[in-house]
Amino acid sequence: MASLGSSSSSATEYTVRVPKNTTKKYSIMAFNAGDKVNCSTWTQARMERDMSARRMYGEEEMPEGAAGSEFGKKQREEARRKKFGIVTREFKVEDQPWILKVNGKAGKRFKGQKKGGVTENASYYIFTQCPDGAFEAFPVHGWYNFTPLAKHRTLTAEEAEEEWGRRNKVVNHFSIMLQRRLREQERGEEEEDETEKAGKKKKKKGGGRGGDLRIHDLEDDLDMSSDDSDSSMGEDGEGKSKAKKEKEAKGKAKKKKRKSSENEAMEDSDDGDYEGLEVDYMSDESSSEEEPEKAKPSKGEEHPKGIDEASESEEESEEEKQNEEEAKEEDEEEDGKKTPVQMEKKKKKDSSGESDSSDDSDIEGEAASALFMVKKRTPPKRGGGRGSGGSSRTGSRPGTPSIDSAATSNTLRAAANKLEQGARKRQPQGPGTDTPAAKRLKMEPSSQSPAPSGKSTPQPQSGKSTPSSSDVQLTEEAVRRYLIRKPMTTKDLLKKFQTKRTGLSSEQTVNVLAQILKRLNPERKNVNDKMHFYLTE
Amino acid sequence: MSEKGEVDLTGAKQNTGVWLVKVPKYLSQQWAKATGRGEVGKLRICKNQGKAEVSFTLNEELTAIDGMADKKVQAPREHPFTMQTVGGQTLAVFTETSSGEHKIALEGVVVQRAECRPAVSESYMKLKRIQIEESSKPVRLSQQLEKAVTNNYKPVANHAYNLEYERKKKEEGKRARADKQQVLDMLFSAFEKHQYYNIKDLVDITKQPVIYLKEILRDIGIYNVKGTHKNTWELKPEYRHYQGEEKTDD
Repeated sequence: MASLGSSSSSATEYTVRVPKNTTKKYSIMAFNAGDKVNCSTWTQARMERDMSARRMYGEEEMPEGAAGSEFGKKQREEARRKKFGIVTREFKVEDQPWILKVNGKAGKRFKGQKKGGVTENASYYIFTQCPDGAFEAFPVHGWYNFTPLAKHRTLTAEEAEEEWGRRNKVVNHFSIMLQRRLREQERGEEEEDETEKAGKKKKKKGGGRGGDLRIHDLEDDLDMSSDDSDSSMGEDGEGKSKAKKEKEAKGKAKKKKRKSSENEAMEDSDDGDYEGLEVDYMSDESSSEEEPEKAKPSKGEEHPKGIDEASESEEESEEEKQNEEEAKEEDEEEDGKKTPVQMEKKKKKDSSGESDSSDDSDIEGEAASALFMVKKRTPPKRGGGRGSGGSSRTGSRPGTPSIDSAATSNTLRAAANKLEQGARKRQPQGPGTDTPAAKRLKMEPSSQSPAPSGKSTPQPQSGKSTPSSSDVQLTEEAVRRYLIRKPMTTKDLLKKFQTKRTGLSSEQTVNVLAQILKRLNPERKNVNDKMHFYLTE
Repeated sequence: MSEKGEVDLTGAKQNTGVWLVKVPKYLSQQWAKATGRGEVGKLRICKNQGKAEVSFTLNEELTAIDGMADKKVQAPREHPFTMQTVGGQTLAVFTETSSGEHKIALEGVVVQRAECRPAVSESYMKLKRIQIEESSKPVRLSQQLEKAVTNNYKPVANHAYNLEYERKKKEEGKRARADKQQVLDMLFSAFEKHQYYNIKDLVDITKQPVIYLKEILRDIGIYNVKGTHKNTWELKPEYRHYQGEEKTDD
């Protein structure tokens, strides 16, 4: 109903109605101006209450009724709380935040928190115009401020505190999240997480290098990253894609090398050890996955970090051993959690046969992979090992395969794994690998060929069998003694038979120890999430 | 039929524009009293040389304010709207159906914000004054009593409690030892409901003297300190039947 106004102004009158039916409750969804949200572009949206706070109010520690419950427990708890004046706020569904997911899985996510005090002193009404021209006014029941949720991983409070303490020492910030992811993988998180991480890692690394997934300007790599992000594969798929990537990368080793060098240059490494390493990453041995592409990033970190990495990778290897059950070709396994940077390195190594110092690492990796599938972050360990240099390195063997004890422990673990499952054939990495996230280069076939060759190289080197005279001999007797006395992890065993003292190279140590363990066939038990061996006689 | 959580986006797609209007409390109270179809007043929009003037006129019948018997105080009728822009913010309006279904629908986007102000008038001032007086009254009040309160004497023994105590004594007396098998049955059924029991609760349930009950319990149960500071009784493992444990009854 409109009546024309008079005079110069035109006025129209509308009736205002406040409908009585209360089936629909109106609320406001407020977005920040900076987020530039345009609702009309949404194709699909889902919104639910965020019930994660219910756990705090539930307090379901004791099972109700039957087993494990106490008679009258609830009343007693309540009486106790009243006595101490503990007032627990009720869990009101109405006040819980909303979780809004726009455009499905790949779209944005928002969290809508209720704004208090909106309906206290004044009421808000929504005026909509009806077809008949009248206005209808609906009261607003709640005001929710929606903020976008970050999709990338962030550090938790404890981790952030930790990193804050190291802020003056850590130069390479990209590896912070990487380390965290690898740590998470050690804890055996679900594959989905890993695949996500892999995808994210890639992205992160790519972002770190100044572009989304742009570490390698190679299409292959881009393909791989997309494959990764798809995470259409399961655990094995991860390995598969990684393997595939590796293979592709192999083809582009040279380029990778350059990339690696770039990375090297970018890194503000205070560790002069790595200066000559550009060349290193040229090994053609496929197994080199372990090669520390990752080492590069971790280079910037201090020695303790390297040790941490070592321990982490140890844990990882434990996990890996338990999870995977095949001795895969080195590449896949070792890469496990490589970041794109690492992958680059690996690729370089795998692809070309150039021998650089990376050969060493490659060889190491190969040795490891040759024998077992070690899915650890050998690269990080290597990098850590190298960076920390000190821990195991004497510095007098730059050119020799610098197998850190960490690396050897990896392979040892792999050896132990082998023990358990019997000899596993090296399978084509791609398909059966259940290695976690790390991107796998698609270098299956190529990696396979280098792998055997790589394998052959360490073999002659590791003369094995006859350790030279030294203080400690790596014999079956010695190992048996240790294991009888107390349960030890492979890492511990390695520490006992340090390469300096036995005179063997780390590869040799690894091999010998693996053989010994095979012969002894010790029992295993899990202590603190680490696999320990022991003998009872 | 949309599944739970699915948001109906028709309003957003059509870009339905709505107004968000801030309304004073007394006015919304008056609106709540509207009858019939819910007509509360008229909105007049004048376009004066480019500037839009919006004003709301409250219906006559709704000006009476509850609680004010005094007719002098009435809600004002004229309310000009102050129009504001939304700014950069995106304000969307969504609804949920409160009954059962809980469907969520996006109704539209706010295109204009407004504040409803009452036109200053004598009646409004009076209304406001009364409101202020009401709200400034203290919640708690100290009041002097003329007579002291005398109906709560301090008893020597709680009289009501005393009666209850005597009754209890008379009725129950000493607990008689029931047949051992019966007691066992009672115990087993009790332990089916909960695993851990306090001895006092068991005495309460079985109505047996404590010593006798303890003897029986020593047979079939164990007394554990359990670490959670209460000392409780539970059945022996061989008598238990919780979640797949083998049950062996005597």
